[in-house]
Amino acid sequence: MAAFLAGLAAGVLSGFGVGGGTLLLIYMTVFAGMPQTLAQGINLLYFLPTAAMALPAHVKNGFVERSVLLPAVLSGLVGTALAAWAATALDTALLHRLFGGFLICVGLSELFRRPVGKGVSPDGCGDRSDSPPK
Amino acid sequence: MSMEKNKLRSAVAGGAAGLINGFFGGGGGMLLVPLLARWRGLGDRRAFATSVAVILPLCALSAGIYFLRGGLALSAALPYLLGGLAGGTLGGVLFKRLNMTWLRRGFALLILYAGVRAAFFS
Repeated sequence: MAAFLAGLAAGVLSGFGVGGGTLLLIYMTVFAGMPQTLAQGINLLYFLPTAAMALPAHVKNGFVERSVLLPAVLSGLVGTALAAWAATALDTALLHRLFGGFLICVGLSELFRRPVGKGVSPDGCGDRSDSPPK
Repeated sequence: MSMEKNKLRSAVAGGAAGLINGFFGGGGGMLLVPLLARWRGLGDRRAFATSVAVILPLCALSAGIYFLRGGLALSAALPYLLGGLAGGTLGGVLFKRLNMTWLRRGFALLILYAGVRAAFFS
């Protein structure tokens, strides 16, 4: 039940772009004491249906910038394969500590983040240049 | 800006997001969204949507690697997945009712607390 609720809370936050996946990882590893590698695997799996459901709407609304896709996905696949390989080879306790360091960086940058630019609504969801690029 | 430069920037942003995504099993989007906004000049919504499209195949690949090498148990994942589906629906309803600034601040404090606990007290 606690797992279901954590998934629910993360699902709500994901829709806001606030980092639901990070919240889920925190719950699983810091509060539920799950091994880091298992939690990370679950988090990756968790993202798949959510993103797959959201993506068609984004494409239909014209918000996906196509010129980014090919280069970013190709280099991203290489990067993610190498990093996933390395992470699953590491000691889970060490990975957990490194994850802690990563969270501290994310938390600080989130806390002291500057507003993105003029004309953006305070919730960060406003239009800046959501029109197709020149 | 030239096409080549745009391609290079997209590739570097995608590669960096891939490294984070594979190593920590998430968080790639947190890096990719601001990079796309800054380097490619995408607005918040475009950066967010494009990031989802880029991260999705990366997550599929790294989930496969975690499954093969990290002993990822599908039964352990199931309650989280079910909660996520319900949460996604609920999020749509709540979207306009929450104060994003305070939500973000509270979230940042939670992340910091968890980070210190994981890094130094585990």
